[in-house]
Amino acid sequence: MLDEALEHLVKGIVDNPDDVHVAERTLRRGRVLEVRVHPDDLGKVIGRNGRTARALRTVVGALGGRGIRVDLVDVDQVR
Amino acid sequence: MTEGNTPVVEGEDALTRLEQEGEIAADYLEGLLDIADLDGDIDMDVEGDRAAVSIVGDSGRDLQKLVGRDGEVLEALQELTRLAVHRETGDRSRLMLDIGGFRARKRAELTELGTKAAQDAKTSGEPVKLRPMTPFERKVVHDAVAAAGLRSESEGEEPQRRVVVLPA
Repeated sequence: MLDEALEHLVKGIVDNPDDVHVAERTLRRGRVLEVRVHPDDLGKVIGRNGRTARALRTVVGALGGRGIRVDLVDVDQVR
Repeated sequence: MTEGNTPVVEGEDALTRLEQEGEIAADYLEGLLDIADLDGDIDMDVEGDRAAVSIVGDSGRDLQKLVGRDGEVLEALQELTRLAVHRETGDRSRLMLDIGGFRARKRAELTELGTKAAQDAKTSGEPVKLRPMTPFERKVVHDAVAAAGLRSESEGEEPQRRVVVLPA
């Protein structure tokens, strides 16, 4: 549910919603929701001083994702 | 709709634009409620020169979750909703979001506080300093003081900025 909720929140604010993909991964340090967006939209989902990224994390935390990391990356970024 | 109380909206165009903002916001928020399986209905209105959208419902616990401590989650959702509106309209939105009556209650409390501070200032003849508040909170207090017939100003720097009520 959290990945779907996060995907909905991000798709609604970017110019390229079809390029939004959220994947949940479990790392040694815990669960991570990785949000991939179009390179042109990365600035948008981070926001001024990280404001938008913070808002996304706050809402995910409220929906039960406390302690889950939210990573924002663009689709060109190589892991 | 509170007609006659919306002097800042200029004509039909502005009103239609604000109603459209409300509809975009409602779609965005409804989608979230569905996915998260939270109960809530969406009310839309226009207050002054802003679209006002509220999530209301009787499942207090669900909605409380979306308000968060001190309205923290509510502010985050308002921020995201404004961005969603901006994406669709291309214009910056000043939309106000309320959830479970949180802002309405806060406004009532602060109005009472401002009215009481104005009375204290009148009685004592001394300025009354209030605790530090957010810009939204200070605006409500200034309005209440003005309604009580006194003047007030803000002093200090954010986030320590506070209202001082001046005696007549």
